[in-house]
Amino acid sequence: MVTPISGHDLIADNQYNIGHICTRHQCELGRADKLAMKWIGPRGETSSHTFAQLDRESSKCARVLLDLGLVPGDVFFIFLPKVPEVYFAFLGALKAQIIVGPLFSNFGDEALLDRMSDSGARAILARKSYLKKLLRIRGQLPELKYILVTDIDEHQGDGVLSLPKLMSTAPDDFVAPLTPPETPSVLHYTSGSTGKPKGALHGHRSVLMQNRTVREVLQLRDDDLYWCTADHGWVTGVSYGIIGPWSQGVSQIHFGGAYDPRQWFELLQNEKVTAWYTAPTALRMLMREPDEFFREFDLSPLRDIFSVGEPLNPEVVLWGRRLFGKDIYDTWWQTETGAIMIASRPGREVIPACMGRPLDGIEAAIIADDGTPAPVNEQGSLCLKPGWDSMFIAYYKHEDIYRSKFKNGWYFSGDTARRDEAGNFWFMGRSDDVINTSGHLVSPFEVESALLEIEGVAESGVIAAPDPMLFEKVVAFVSMKPGCEWNEDIELKARLHVSNRVSTMATPQEFIVLGNIPKTKSGKIMRRVLKARYLGTELGDISTMDV
Amino acid sequence: MTPMERLEKVFRVVFDDDEIALRPEMTANDVDGWDSLSHTNLILSVEKEFGIKFNQRELLTFKNVGDLLRSIESKL
Repeated sequence: MVTPISGHDLIADNQYNIGHICTRHQCELGRADKLAMKWIGPRGETSSHTFAQLDRESSKCARVLLDLGLVPGDVFFIFLPKVPEVYFAFLGALKAQIIVGPLFSNFGDEALLDRMSDSGARAILARKSYLKKLLRIRGQLPELKYILVTDIDEHQGDGVLSLPKLMSTAPDDFVAPLTPPETPSVLHYTSGSTGKPKGALHGHRSVLMQNRTVREVLQLRDDDLYWCTADHGWVTGVSYGIIGPWSQGVSQIHFGGAYDPRQWFELLQNEKVTAWYTAPTALRMLMREPDEFFREFDLSPLRDIFSVGEPLNPEVVLWGRRLFGKDIYDTWWQTETGAIMIASRPGREVIPACMGRPLDGIEAAIIADDGTPAPVNEQGSLCLKPGWDSMFIAYYKHEDIYRSKFKNGWYFSGDTARRDEAGNFWFMGRSDDVINTSGHLVSPFEVESALLEIEGVAESGVIAAPDPMLFEKVVAFVSMKPGCEWNEDIELKARLHVSNRVSTMATPQEFIVLGNIPKTKSGKIMRRVLKARYLGTELGDISTMDV
Repeated sequence: MTPMERLEKVFRVVFDDDEIALRPEMTANDVDGWDSLSHTNLILSVEKEFGIKFNQRELLTFKNVGDLLRSIESKL
């Protein structure tokens, strides 16, 4: 039995390199032959990888990237579904001090273009079937030198290279350079209510908080088999699907298939998963299954279930207690925080619908509109005192927007909440127009822009509307040009266009046609008015509306 | 065009991939991007292409492309 890592032996000789800590350092601690990852493909195919193998494969990737001429600080994207190469490339890039940006594999070409042009990415890793999207936008990406492809055997020229071929000759003994804590590491693009997505950049220091929360909140143990269902395109899939657990030497499974209740529960049972981190939408979808379905499975090894991404409704917590005899622990954090900040956790009473409490050392506050702390039980902006280890260090190349997130000594999360007398936090909503659908943040601006590309559409306005399954759904208001009429054909075209240009997650679930979209006199879309109209509530102050 | 060829055309548009070659045994695991949200786009597109409608119960019975094709053919 290997001794579990404590916070003190995570960093040896001042080496903060995440790639090193998750691989070579684990080998040095005696885990070389321990299972790091069992990958399970959509059809049940599997491959197992020890920490030593993870170290060697990631070292080869580091060498490949450096030999291609990438240098520390360059940006490298990963555009793949959940396959083992994701993890080798992610850790390899970090070993080489290259900034790594994981992307959702369902991103459309517009979403890819926004992120790659903003960051000036030098290389991207993809699979052959995604090449078409990338080649369509490549002409607009002068800084993109290489497209590495996981499933071609030969290089194709023009910088389209076979990763297997490059890996076959790469040495596997790369040693990560001594990496100071502030060295940039991971770049996650996140949506705002205005403008293009911003790249939240973290430093290698973030591993301190990701590791600590794995120990203190998820309470993972050395003999655990842990499953985080999140995709690596989502920050959870990185902080708690890669960095947190592997920095602690914990064995994980990664499942490359989609949501399927039977497949998921067979996996929990057959693999003997002991700790499971998933999302409220997935849990709500599981709640549709009859109780008999769950009685088929023996989940006795499963110790704890955690949830992240959206508020966890009380019904889900009560369902979990009834069916599994367990609490489901809610965790609150976001891309910018890099790690869990507020949580309920094993060993403490779980209050259904409550976010829990801040971790020790994390100072959270509810700030009222006037900038002062809100009274107990009153809603306000959920803020954090800056300085925690996994705090984002920049919006990549957007220093002004980064600074705007901090006011009067507080980081403003964009969420609203209240705090009760006991110090528990309760999520209330967003303070901006960003849509949280199934835990994914969707920018109304991106969807509105895509809709304007549909022939006949004059204006569009996009809002979040409550949804019992997705938490929030995307609702689009459109107005048509004179002589054009909205019909089923255009609606289908609009759905496909948003799916293929932005992402499937951004696809409006509902379209509403208006004579015109309410705007301020300066031309800004009044989403607040659209939302009030949708919900049938008071319109509020419309004195600035252009009529 | 056969129903299978027309269905393949729909798949290529919905999933933005000209190289999709349908086989009856194919499932969501065989097509990049076939998730629950794009599945709605797929069904709406199939309904439009073939001028048919599926009911909720039918949708639950589709396990692969072959099931979908058989249902389409039964409505033509």
